[in-house]
Amino acid sequence: MLSTLLSPVRGAEGRCRCTGYPRVVGKAAGVVLAGGRSTRMGTAKSELEWHGSTLLYRAAAVMARSVDGPVVVVAAPGQELPELPAGVEVVEDPVDGLGPMQGLAAGLAAVADRADVAFVCSTDLPFLHPAYVRRVLRALTDDIDVVLPVARGFRQPLAAAYQTRIAGLVAKLLAEGNQRPGMIFKHCDVTQLDDAALLADAAVAKYDPELDSVLNVNTPEDYRAARDREPPEVVVERFGALAKGGGHRPKVVRAATIGQAAEVVGLTLDRHVVAALNGDQVTKDGRLPLVAGDAVAFLSADAGG
Amino acid sequence: MAPGGFFGQALVVDVHAGHATGSRLTLDDQVLRAYLGGVGLGTWLMHRLAPPGVDPLAPQAPLAFVYSSLVGTPLTTSAKFAVVAKSPLTGLLTDALASSQFAISGKLTGHDAIVIRGRADELSVLLIDGDGPRLEPAPDFAGLSAADAETKAKERFGRGWRTAAIGPAGERGVRYATISHDGRHAGRGGLGAVLGAKNIKAVLVKAATKVGVADQAGVLAAAKDLRGRSFGPATAKYRELGTLANLLAFNAVSTLPTRNFTAATFAEAPRLAAEELHELRGVARNSCASCSIGCEHIYARKGGGSQRMEYENVFALGPLCGVSDPDDVFAASARCDELGIDTISAGGTIAWAMECVERGLIEEPWLRFGDGAALLRALDAIGSRAAGLGELLAEGSRRAAERVGHGSLDFAAQVKGLEMPGYEPRSLQSMALGLAVNARGADHNRSGAYEADLSGDVDRFHGGAAHVAAAVQTEDKAAVMDSMILCKFLRGVFDDPFTEWARLLALVTGWDLDADELRTAARRIVRAKRAFNLREGATAADDTLPVRMLETPIELGSGRTAALTADRLRSMVASYYEARGLDQDGRVSATDLADLFL
Repeated sequence: MLSTLLSPVRGAEGRCRCTGYPRVVGKAAGVVLAGGRSTRMGTAKSELEWHGSTLLYRAAAVMARSVDGPVVVVAAPGQELPELPAGVEVVEDPVDGLGPMQGLAAGLAAVADRADVAFVCSTDLPFLHPAYVRRVLRALTDDIDVVLPVARGFRQPLAAAYQTRIAGLVAKLLAEGNQRPGMIFKHCDVTQLDDAALLADAAVAKYDPELDSVLNVNTPEDYRAARDREPPEVVVERFGALAKGGGHRPKVVRAATIGQAAEVVGLTLDRHVVAALNGDQVTKDGRLPLVAGDAVAFLSADAGG
Repeated sequence: MAPGGFFGQALVVDVHAGHATGSRLTLDDQVLRAYLGGVGLGTWLMHRLAPPGVDPLAPQAPLAFVYSSLVGTPLTTSAKFAVVAKSPLTGLLTDALASSQFAISGKLTGHDAIVIRGRADELSVLLIDGDGPRLEPAPDFAGLSAADAETKAKERFGRGWRTAAIGPAGERGVRYATISHDGRHAGRGGLGAVLGAKNIKAVLVKAATKVGVADQAGVLAAAKDLRGRSFGPATAKYRELGTLANLLAFNAVSTLPTRNFTAATFAEAPRLAAEELHELRGVARNSCASCSIGCEHIYARKGGGSQRMEYENVFALGPLCGVSDPDDVFAASARCDELGIDTISAGGTIAWAMECVERGLIEEPWLRFGDGAALLRALDAIGSRAAGLGELLAEGSRRAAERVGHGSLDFAAQVKGLEMPGYEPRSLQSMALGLAVNARGADHNRSGAYEADLSGDVDRFHGGAAHVAAAVQTEDKAAVMDSMILCKFLRGVFDDPFTEWARLLALVTGWDLDADELRTAARRIVRAKRAFNLREGATAADDTLPVRMLETPIELGSGRTAALTADRLRSMVASYYEARGLDQDGRVSATDLADLFL
């Protein structure tokens, strides 16, 4: 049951004073599917290096900063995962080999008691942007079960938003032998977002104009091309003793992680130096990914007194 | 024989009519070792000497200047003294620390503490040296600022004396008046009003003796080592820009209380930022006595003169009142110093009044957020206890709100009557607990729980078990640092604080104490403070935050909101009680009471 493509929505969201990003959607969970076979890549995608961490680390961290609810990584039975950001949970698929439908069922079920909606993505989206995640989640109203982007010419069920209430339906379809996500859409109320609808969001248009959020990497060539891309532009501010000689004034740099941003301005995250991303949580984790438009504040860990 | 660094006695001065008499109170090794000195020993003295239920402004209420074994040693930042009394603002224990030569001279009168009771017939100064106390009439000191009183005392009594004095606000009983020496203030809780109620404008001390330490060579080596470490990265913030460096950083992480805690960011914060002012106005840097950090930053004022600025006075007289003109904030800070009032309580009380005016609860239409001239006018009214607004605000925000009513207590930003410092509790939830449970009231110096929130190690928007542990740990550390006494700006240089502090104390005193014993002392000091408050009528209901903090989420710069619910805070307080070995009503057990050596 597909609805017509959404019309562009303008000016509907509040604006963040720091970055221009819209507000985070509340009561939303993030689900990252890590259990794919990575056949064409030849290496588990979840373990692919990404600017000092892994693709999976990036995906989970982007989820964590995009939603207010829990973030869950769904692993295949027995799958060993690389290190994850603090607070990210792991659930295992109960059955191996049933594809993303199984991961979707397990992920939605894992968060259903704590969130009404969830953004679900695969591990292999190295340019997934929080603005895209929020745009898709915001389109998910109570009367819709799934928001399915149709971006860059393809349906994107693994970069889409779902009501967690459909966890049972997905499990039922699986039990009936349906392993393709497309089957879900035959049984749900689905809204599709095309490129224009996605880009009608000012933040998406500004920070992800090519909709690279849905660009996935399937082969070693894809991965190398993605890895060789220039890091995003972010704004760095330093405060206190870290800001000698006018260093507190905003500076635009290119960096894929907080650690890289620190390095560019001559800092190292340690017990004396911490960072806050877009004025939110304070962190010492230099592996946390940055995206275009981010603002990173570096401050003395001994702030106060 | 007293342990190294101690005299083993306190001087108890009773002021009556035109005379002062002194008596010696023995401080045995057990008490000194249990409480260390400073705030800890001061707490023990209040248990012993303050009559239960005493009015803090009554003659019988004691006020104690307390030193420690480290005072007078070459250890950096050790020239500090604690002033301890029952607070006229909270009705509970209050203690404040200041750093200056007054600490060294006061201790070298031959006492580990000087306690003052009674009331003089007329405004007087109290002089204490090796011959004991004496009272001198000083009616001509009336109305002087603390700095001017210090100058006048020097002229009259000679240069060998060190003077701690009150300003006109202390004489007039403003409940958040300060005691000052050499531009440093024992600021919080209204200690200046307690001294003023005794009709004592100033206390003068003169060194008369010496005190040895257990291991002179060891202390010298430790002092050299500590001094070296004090130049490292852990103190860079204080050295480079001072505490005012917090302002822009706190603004960036949405924890800069603004317009009476209705916002956590202040759009005009850069105008008041150390980073900007340092370039435009910075004129000098200064250190307390015996300090190698040099955190004090002094800025040029428009039209001449200079003013020392710290984060807390800029926050309280700036963003909290919506004032962004640095010259207005400088002038307001200077006015607080002249009057002798605590900048945090002054700013907090005025910000509350500004919101009352907005809501039509106080009819003073000129008192508006953002109006620097109105801020100065309000400060003058407080300092002079002018009829109407001045009398009202001189009582502090809690008493004023109780008089104004109409729900205004809900947005009076205070805990236990003490106005809140510049840390937004909804976006710093370890600190929220620290502020709620602290014995002194809303306090950032006796609970440094914000360290956890800003460390990146906890989720600062969702308080829980880790936040409780952080609040307990930082409170324990503060209890030791404030008692032994070292400046908390040094805290970052210690890798293994309790072990290193135990070693320092062992070198000075000769005690064979270790980190565990020091931890036990920390817990004892925290419990002793609570026990005093319980004795004075405090209950678990006092361990909370204003309704505004618990019912109104605060918007963050990221666009998200941070909320601290009453349930979450209650849960953290309950866990705190459990961690502290208190019962569910926050009471100290009989076993623990016995360990207080009262």
